Amino acid sequence: MSDSKSMDKPLDCPERRNFLEKATAVVGGVGVAGASWPFINSMNPSADVLENAISEVDLKVIEVGQSQTVSWEGKPVFVVHRTPAQIAAMQASKGGPDPQEDTARTQQPEWLVVVGLCTHLGCVPTRDNEGWLCPCHGSRYDNSGRILHGPAPANLPVPPYKIVSSETIIIGVA
Amino acid sequence: MSRLIALALCCLSYSAWASEEHKLAKVQVRTDVQSLERGAETVISMCTGCHSLKYIKYRDLLKLGIAKEKVNSWRGSNPPGTSIPSQMSPEVAVKGFGSIPPDLSLMAQARDGRANYLYSYLLGFYVTPDGKSGNHLFPGVKMPDVLGIAGARTPEERAQIEEKARDVTSFLMWAADPHEQERKKLGYYVIGYLVLLTVLLKLMKMRIWSRLRNN
Amino acid sequence: MAKGIISWIDRRFPLTAIIKHELTEYPTPRNLSYWWNFGFLAGFVLVLQILTGIFLAMHYKPDASMAFDSLQTIMRDVNYGWLLRYLHSTGASAFFIVIYVHMARTLYYGSYRAPRELLWWTGQVLLLSIMASAFMGYLLPWGQMSYWGAGVITNLFGATPFIGEAVVLWLRGDFAVGDATLTRFFALHYLFPFLVAGMVVIHLVSLHTVKSSNPSGINLEDKDNIPFHPYYTSKDGFGLGVYLIIFCWFVFFAPNTFIEAVNNNPANPLVTPPHIVPEWYFLPFYAILRSIPDLLGGVVAMVMSLLLFAVLPFADRSTIPGGARYRPIYRVTFFLFIADIFVLGYLGAQAPTGYVVPMGQVATFLYFATFFILPIVSKREDKWLRARLPQELLAQFDRTNALAKGQNKGDAP
Ligand code: HEC
Ligand code: HEM
Repeated sequence: MSDSKSMDKPLDCPERRNFLEKATAVVGGVGVAGASWPFINSMNPSADVLENAISEVDLKVIEVGQSQTVSWEGKPVFVVHRTPAQIAAMQASKGGPDPQEDTARTQQPEWLVVVGLCTHLGCVPTRDNEGWLCPCHGSRYDNSGRILHGPAPANLPVPPYKIVSSETIIIGVA
Repeated sequence: MSRLIALALCCLSYSAWASEEHKLAKVQVRTDVQSLERGAETVISMCTGCHSLKYIKYRDLLKLGIAKEKVNSWRGSNPPGTSIPSQMSPEVAVKGFGSIPPDLSLMAQARDGRANYLYSYLLGFYVTPDGKSGNHLFPGVKMPDVLGIAGARTPEERAQIEEKARDVTSFLMWAADPHEQERKKLGYYVIGYLVLLTVLLKLMKMRIWSRLRNN
Repeated sequence: MAKGIISWIDRRFPLTAIIKHELTEYPTPRNLSYWWNFGFLAGFVLVLQILTGIFLAMHYKPDASMAFDSLQTIMRDVNYGWLLRYLHSTGASAFFIVIYVHMARTLYYGSYRAPRELLWWTGQVLLLSIMASAFMGYLLPWGQMSYWGAGVITNLFGATPFIGEAVVLWLRGDFAVGDATLTRFFALHYLFPFLVAGMVVIHLVSLHTVKSSNPSGINLEDKDNIPFHPYYTSKDGFGLGVYLIIFCWFVFFAPNTFIEAVNNNPANPLVTPPHIVPEWYFLPFYAILRSIPDLLGGVVAMVMSLLLFAVLPFADRSTIPGGARYRPIYRVTFFLFIADIFVLGYLGAQAPTGYVVPMGQVATFLYFATFFILPIVSKREDKWLRARLPQELLAQFDRTNALAKGQNKGDAP
């Protein structure tokens, strides 16, 4: 390239100059974007938080007809040991406004596992024989966690879980 | 001239700082999984009787690449999310040693000399003339000579113990900074990228400044 | 679209005018060397410290029982937490390297002289604030060195006459450094860098009023100046690239250089580490503190060692513009002074035994002597040089000086 230039003809070789400028801008931009990733990602759940995303539940202590609330991802999860009568009733119905088969909501009919946050505004429903009643706005759920009536739009979600043996389930792993 | 003096002083002060650490044996820390696994094995079987590793969970050992069966045998009935505990209760430790043995998870970075200190400390035990245990780096040491270097008779035995100390050091170096390998790997990319960017910036600068030359 | 927005703003706020005046068209001497890059670098480092600091603060817990552990969570569990922490801890040291080079440049080229006295003083306030930020930040990891370093430094305030004890108690909020101290240091460590950023604005407004100095020491006329952009933006860009290579090398390959081994032990109020040393950037001042056998005297000496820089614009009585480049005696003084600081820094890191104490006293004496002999030396040197330099040149110098002091504005060429 020629080195002779003057103020009024600064762009001796505009293409090359443009290329250099663009290349630098692109490389610099990639760098800024790359450098911002660690900052953004640091706000995602950290490894110790993710560990809470897996909970082991001991089934031995839950008698037939009883329910236990365990913590998973910081949320309450209801684990219910259903009676044969409840199972039969649930399998005979499809629920309310958000119809779903009971068999689609359980892996083994005697164990129901649902996230215990009302799908309306996130209160924790209280347990009774019929299922659950949300204390905030009166949403009624059945013994399959399905919404029957009230403001809640959907059934209580079923978290991913695995029944490892007759004694334990692991919530958080499908 | 004065520049030279300043430079010489810098070097001098640096070497004086470094000389404190000269008497430590140098250790080549390893990073392969086999060495780390051997180190972990030794630490868990020989050190956690007294020391904890509170920032290391059994799960971290799995992530490191140690076989699941092995980690399961170490953790026993503890869930994988437990930090590696000390088998000795604080009360017993205080009764026996007058202090609680320090946590080992950051130990490799917690003494001047770092890895070299740890290695030399583990190999620094000797038997005093009156039959007591001493350590060249730790006057009045209460910790026993766990690796048994003071009892090594033959050069082979010594070499074996040194090997063990090196594995323990390597494992504890990993425990003190588990992201070191990831960090260095990322570092090569970052520096490579920066060199490219800097060359481009230098070219830009030269091109822009060359406009000034002829007037 | 973008143009529309900008012109909308411009009708309500002089955005384009400010950018033009302060950046793109800001006239800059064309002969600035790479030593003039360090001001921009200091600004960059400040921004990076603030950014990494804010993201660290999202995970850090300013509580004596949790601080050390929370830092280990950052180092081990937070995504890229290790990177944030190493950028921040390495960045603190880098900050001081950049600032010290920036100051040494100012000293070497006499940039503190009229009309830049105020610029120099605002820079000094910046240095003191950054020192305060770094000192408070160093307590946060809650390691042994954090704890005992903060203990020693807060104890220095005990030298305040009459109310010393009350002042120390007030600073700590506890009888020893404790949870109260940690929490307030965190609050202030978060605040101070933003004050620093505000002062940087003042520093720059002052700079743009008097314009940059340059290696010749002669303030150039406008026709010899060039616009800041693109000349110095490109030069600063290249300098930043070089800086980042060095900085990132430390961050990724040797980050523990700047984290004391002792500080990887959690704070223990019952056991003092055998050898308390401050961070390297405080060592020369620490050595001065220790050289005076009396506590109050030591504290006064240490404070004076920083404040005395303020007298330089008056202490330097030469009429030859600029600094060391054309003034042989000043140059020697400069290098001896820098060497003396290195000696002090070295001594500050040693245990105060044997030769360390008397040598520290000599170095301290030389440090202060420099300030006191400067008026005499610069006057003598001036006479000596004036007797030898051509009349023409001296006349030009006098015009420069008159301009700098704002006299005879009308007759200036
Ligand atoms: C019988 C109990 C016991 C066992 C087993 C033990 N230690 Fe210790 N260790 C101690 C005690 C007690 C201390 C405290 C220092 C002292 O008083 O000796 C200590 C201190 C240490 C220190 C710190 C030394 C210093 O500079 O402060 C290190 C490092 C260490 N041990 C490593 C190990 C390693 C590695 C192992 C396994 C190979 C191990 N220890 C096994 C009891 C033990
Ligand atoms: C002038 C700019 C700054 C300087 C010189 C500085 C300096 C320091 C230093 C020396 C440490 C101890 C580092 C270590 O040994 O780990 C530290 C820690 C810390 N700083 Fe800053 N800091 C600055 C700005 C900030 C800002 C703006 C914030 C928050 C918004 C912040 C938040 C923190 C936190 C949370 C820690 C504890 C974590 C750690 O130790 O790495 N810092 N700082």
